[in-house]
Amino acid sequence: MKRVYVCNDTITGIFSGIYDAWKTKLGQEQLGIVLKGCIDQELFCEYAEVVESEKKTIAVENLIKKHMGYEAYWEIYHAVLSSDKEKGDAILGMMLEARNIPQSKKIMQHLSHPKVRKVFELSRNVSNEAHYYREIIRFRELDNGILFSQIEPKSQILTCLGDHFTDRFPLENWMIYDRTHKMFLVHPESKHWVLVLDEVVNEEAIKKVSVKEKTYEKLWKGFFESVAIEERKSYDRQRQHLPLHYRKHVTEFQ
Amino acid sequence: MRITENMSLSKKLNILSDAAKYDVACTSSGTDRHNDGTGIGNCVKAGICHSFSADGRCISLLKILFTNECIFDCKYCINRTSNDVERASFTPDEVCNLTIEFYRRNYIEGLFLSSGVWKSPDFTMEMLYQTLYKLRTEYRFQGYIHVKAIPGASPELIQKVGFLADRMSVNLELPTAESLRKLAPHKNRKNILTPMRLVQNGMAENKQELVAYRNAPRFVPAGQSTQMIIGATPENDFQILNVAEALYKKFELKRVFYSAFVHVNEDSNLPARGDEGPPLLREHRLYQADWLLRFYGFEAKELLSEMNPNFNVLIDPKCNWALEHLEVFPVEVNRADYYTLMRVPGIGYKSASRIVKARRMGVLNFEDLKKMGVVLKRALYFITCNGKMMYPTKIEQDYILRNLLNVGEKLPISVTQMNYKQLSLFDDYHFRQEQFMAEAGKKAPIEKIIG
Ligand code: SF4
Repeated sequence: MKRVYVCNDTITGIFSGIYDAWKTKLGQEQLGIVLKGCIDQELFCEYAEVVESEKKTIAVENLIKKHMGYEAYWEIYHAVLSSDKEKGDAILGMMLEARNIPQSKKIMQHLSHPKVRKVFELSRNVSNEAHYYREIIRFRELDNGILFSQIEPKSQILTCLGDHFTDRFPLENWMIYDRTHKMFLVHPESKHWVLVLDEVVNEEAIKKVSVKEKTYEKLWKGFFESVAIEERKSYDRQRQHLPLHYRKHVTEFQ
Repeated sequence: MRITENMSLSKKLNILSDAAKYDVACTSSGTDRHNDGTGIGNCVKAGICHSFSADGRCISLLKILFTNECIFDCKYCINRTSNDVERASFTPDEVCNLTIEFYRRNYIEGLFLSSGVWKSPDFTMEMLYQTLYKLRTEYRFQGYIHVKAIPGASPELIQKVGFLADRMSVNLELPTAESLRKLAPHKNRKNILTPMRLVQNGMAENKQELVAYRNAPRFVPAGQSTQMIIGATPENDFQILNVAEALYKKFELKRVFYSAFVHVNEDSNLPARGDEGPPLLREHRLYQADWLLRFYGFEAKELLSEMNPNFNVLIDPKCNWALEHLEVFPVEVNRADYYTLMRVPGIGYKSASRIVKARRMGVLNFEDLKKMGVVLKRALYFITCNGKMMYPTKIEQDYILRNLLNVGEKLPISVTQMNYKQLSLFDDYHFRQEQFMAEAGKKAPIEKIIG
């Protein structure tokens, strides 16, 4: 009978699930992970609720770093952030496969294994999406001086943006709000960034922009219009690079 | 000249970004720099593009002129002194504020500052210097700066500016000295190439200083670039490509940009205005060839010649080269060296290096090549795997050409939106699609078709 571990769609949840599965010492065919709310009851499966804990998470993290190396760790780190429902299962499968091969640190070279390939693809999608947001995130200056941005990404990419914007704006107070996953990335001036969960956004406060803000938004929109060369106009090409659904929170398209 | 005292900032920005937009370089790439914790901004080597304007071009930098006042009279330029256009100038603080405030909102990667020649080249260069100095020291901006060196400005000034900028460029403007004389009477080869050489030498010296003192200030770390206007003067592609090659080899430029001529002035020295729009396909072919020079080890004289001085409208420069050199094909994928592989149509430099790596592990077949990103429908005429071709095929110019044309080429949308009218621009290529079809049908020797 296959054992399937049911966990929350968080790093702690998934890593705790992997921890429980790993402990059983069973093989790939006998183990699985499924996210809460996505269970498709199968016959011959035994479902087990995961009790998540920080301790289990850290243990799994160390296990990956130690035995699979940083390359694999990085791929898994990104894959966990994906919106794909089978990501937990793919990561578990990849880890179990790493146990079977002679050099587990070379696991990323085994792309012919379906679970390894899946993790690789998820990771690539997430890092591409994160890169996309490095380009098209727009900050607005609120009346309290905070630079505020909101996005609606598919994956939970906030942590992938933290270092980039911290290096860029070390002396600013800034904040990015992920509307899809209701999370905040918060950077207080001259400090490290932090991820804030379980908070609600104050919709009124984020509408109150500074006096200067309107001016610069207008200047930017003016610039955006005037740099296009009339004789070369091509909205198709513009859309090819910047699909409409990404434009929702982008200043120059509002 | 109209008076522009008390002009609003938004009006100025409008005029001075509009006047700068014909400059094609917009990349923010070439250097990595972390913030030192005392200011704002960093640089990312691959460059970051923040938006796309209505013409589909990437917006990465705040691209503006410091002023569109100009004492020169370049025929192709909207700002030439003889034009009656509205003139405006920024102050250094205005440029700094715009840069910082746009950057804070993540609109841009940095500043691209160019300028008309106001009063004198030195006066203008001094204004640019003051602006950058303020931006770097007072405003503590550590993002990307691309600045134009003004032809005719003194070496000391160019030197000083070079220590504040990431990239510098001097526009070559036109491919030959003759054309320059005709269309840009106040400029000449010498005062364009002098600052270019200066920047090149400055970079070389700086490299040595950096070896000796790791913390020495950095001079133009992202290198220099230039641009040429294509289609305003009668040079052929062969001449243009030779100029580009010389610039890469002798001046160690990072990039040469090509800018399809856009009609903004009426002037008897300019080509007559038609309704065909800028020569975008020609521009595209030049970029493809430029890529071959920089990454594929091609030389200009391999791609074109006096006899055959223009690129083919219908096929890209690499395919064209391969068709002219069928004697070297087919090549055996399991043995050919990296450089030979890169020359095969359908094999890019990435797939070439994948092939070289993968074949160490075992013999490759066509299926493997496909997985490595080789475009087999193009490559199949030029390669063997284990001594076998993919299908039995003739190795004959017109046969292969016809088949490659059936496969089609993926052109950027901006180019494919051209109508037949625009293709007729290439009449002086002795080339027309109809003509080709007719002749190909008759199995005419290819030389006649490609001209
Ligand atoms: S120098 Fe020539 S190209 Fe530059 S702004 Fe003046 S007229 Fe235009």
